[in-house]
Amino acid sequence: MLDRLTPSGVAVPAFLITWSLVVILPLLVIVLFSFLQVKSYRVVYVPTLGTWESVIDSGRWIVAVRTLRIAITMTLIELLLAFPFALWLAKGCKSKPAKAIIITLLTIPFFLDTSSRIIVWRSILGTNGIVNTVLTSLGIVDEPISWLLYSEFAVHFGMLGSYFPTMVFPIFMIMSLIDDDYLQASSDLGASPGQTLLYVILPMSLPGVVAGVVFTLVPLMAAFVEPQMLGGGFVNLLGNSVNSALQELKYPTAAALSTIVVALLGVCLAALILITRKRFDMSTMFQAIRR
Amino acid sequence: MPNGHSALATPTMERAPAAGALPAGQDPVRQGSVQPMLEVIDAVHAYGDVVALDNVTVTAAPGEFLTILGESGSGKTTLLRLISGLEKPYKIGALRLNGVDVSEVPAFSRNCTTVFQNYALFPHMTVGANVEYGLRVRGVPPAERRQRAQDALKLVRLADKYDRRIHQLSGGERQRVALARALVPRPAILLLDEPLGALDEKLRVDMQVELMEIHKSLGMTFVYITHSQEEALTMSDRIILMRKGRIAQAGTPHEIFDRPVSRFVAGFMGVENLMEATLTGLDGDDALVEVDGQRMVGTWSGRTRPAVGDKVVVGMRAERLHIADRPPQDPGLNVLPGRLDSAIYKGKYLDRTVLTEVGPIKVRLWDSSSSTAEQGFVWWKKADCMVMSA
Repeated sequence: MLDRLTPSGVAVPAFLITWSLVVILPLLVIVLFSFLQVKSYRVVYVPTLGTWESVIDSGRWIVAVRTLRIAITMTLIELLLAFPFALWLAKGCKSKPAKAIIITLLTIPFFLDTSSRIIVWRSILGTNGIVNTVLTSLGIVDEPISWLLYSEFAVHFGMLGSYFPTMVFPIFMIMSLIDDDYLQASSDLGASPGQTLLYVILPMSLPGVVAGVVFTLVPLMAAFVEPQMLGGGFVNLLGNSVNSALQELKYPTAAALSTIVVALLGVCLAALILITRKRFDMSTMFQAIRR
Repeated sequence: MPNGHSALATPTMERAPAAGALPAGQDPVRQGSVQPMLEVIDAVHAYGDVVALDNVTVTAAPGEFLTILGESGSGKTTLLRLISGLEKPYKIGALRLNGVDVSEVPAFSRNCTTVFQNYALFPHMTVGANVEYGLRVRGVPPAERRQRAQDALKLVRLADKYDRRIHQLSGGERQRVALARALVPRPAILLLDEPLGALDEKLRVDMQVELMEIHKSLGMTFVYITHSQEEALTMSDRIILMRKGRIAQAGTPHEIFDRPVSRFVAGFMGVENLMEATLTGLDGDDALVEVDGQRMVGTWSGRTRPAVGDKVVVGMRAERLHIADRPPQDPGLNVLPGRLDSAIYKGKYLDRTVLTEVGPIKVRLWDSSSSTAEQGFVWWKKADCMVMSA
């Protein structure tokens, strides 16, 4: 059955056509849309640069830079947290029930609505929230710490939980695939645990790290719930701008902002591919791990 | 010592006696003349309720080729992992490498390396990087480690594969890379965990010879694990046969092959004819036994001396038995009349079953035209009739 699908003469074009229709075509339409205008709720099919001019003039590029900065910072934070956690989960955690429970817990962010999860933090981080109440009543601080909520700190903090699983899962998966024999061979040949981590675990889990970065960075570039709920209007990101443009029915503006997001992502991912490609050949890596 | 090999040999190895020089049956460790390279004293280990090692003591002399033989689950791999440090024993009297107790030393600080059963070559590195790995983690400069890796690859006849990727190699080539990688850090002891298990018949025989030559030229101590008695007999200076976490018998290939101490050892070493018997007399090593009322003379090979009347086992190898039309007249021989039954053609020889009063006996005939008669006699020498513990 599968053998009949292998001729690349059929499978590859079939995939390309389907993928183009479902994903790439809408993307092109969005780009095209940013060069059109909407007048009295109707699209005017006359090409114009007006939308792009207003986007640049209104200082939205600052938002774009802030979005990129926060997205990259958060991706790095998540990577630093997720890598050791995934390593422990895949290789250190010997109890099977514990592993199953942790994996289940990690999926919670996927089945709970983001807004309802995030809004809870307001009552914890606010000036009258739990943290400040405890700190003031213990006399650790004289007056409530104001930067806990409606700040960049709060936005970063709120994003921590939401984007942790997307980083952990791919890394955990690839680490589970690394045979313990490799780690034992490394140790047997005289490598300290740190050297084994650097020379064996890190390079072998790189495909998972790349996947984790992509799955985390991409949604971070479009995040709008956390900045809206915890940024208090001080931390607007591209996602918020797109959202408000849509609500105001400014479709070309939304399209232009989305184009910026996609372009920035494209640049980030291209950089990622260039960095990793120089050192490792991804496709043979997967082949090799399978043995 | 050939030039290509000298780069791998350490001064201590050169002092060690060449493996082939050890006379059969002599164990310098037991005689206390040489500091043993490896001493495992009273090792106990268990996986859950399953006892993997039950008070096992093993020693190896410098430059010795020691084989640990046993079926799967006998504890041989556990023993190897205790030595390498990849497994921590439940209880151990002492574990000394070259006289130094290493029972608390982590695996990466022990001066021994392992050739793993599935090789465990790093898939993300080239052949060269794999072989250099042990030097890289020890901080050896790149130029020197490249040189030493190339020497090792030359030793295993893979000099031109330095830049290859692991998945581009055949099974036999991977096996050699694994061997080179383990040899390069110049360990005091090389541990080999069924290294030839995944190779096909022809390649396995070639690699046996190659391993023996490498062992001889390096003078390194090899601890070799296998379940193949043929491999053990071919390669070893000394064999330790294990069963259910205990040592069933330890000795030279000759001792284990010709003088098995128990029914299990005899069966494992391929003795085809094993019969229960009663001991009726013992003079020195000459044993008189009775099998189903049939008297036989044999040689006692058990560990402790039995008492007359004890239940024992008689074993004869098929290739040491003879068939004749008329009974030979020498009174020192064992002779049984019987009817010649089925024959199995094996190419080089013929396996015939002879139905005798004490049951069917398998006889190996190298000359297929030796006997065609229906009735005949099986005879064998006293020395070829092994009497051992049940």
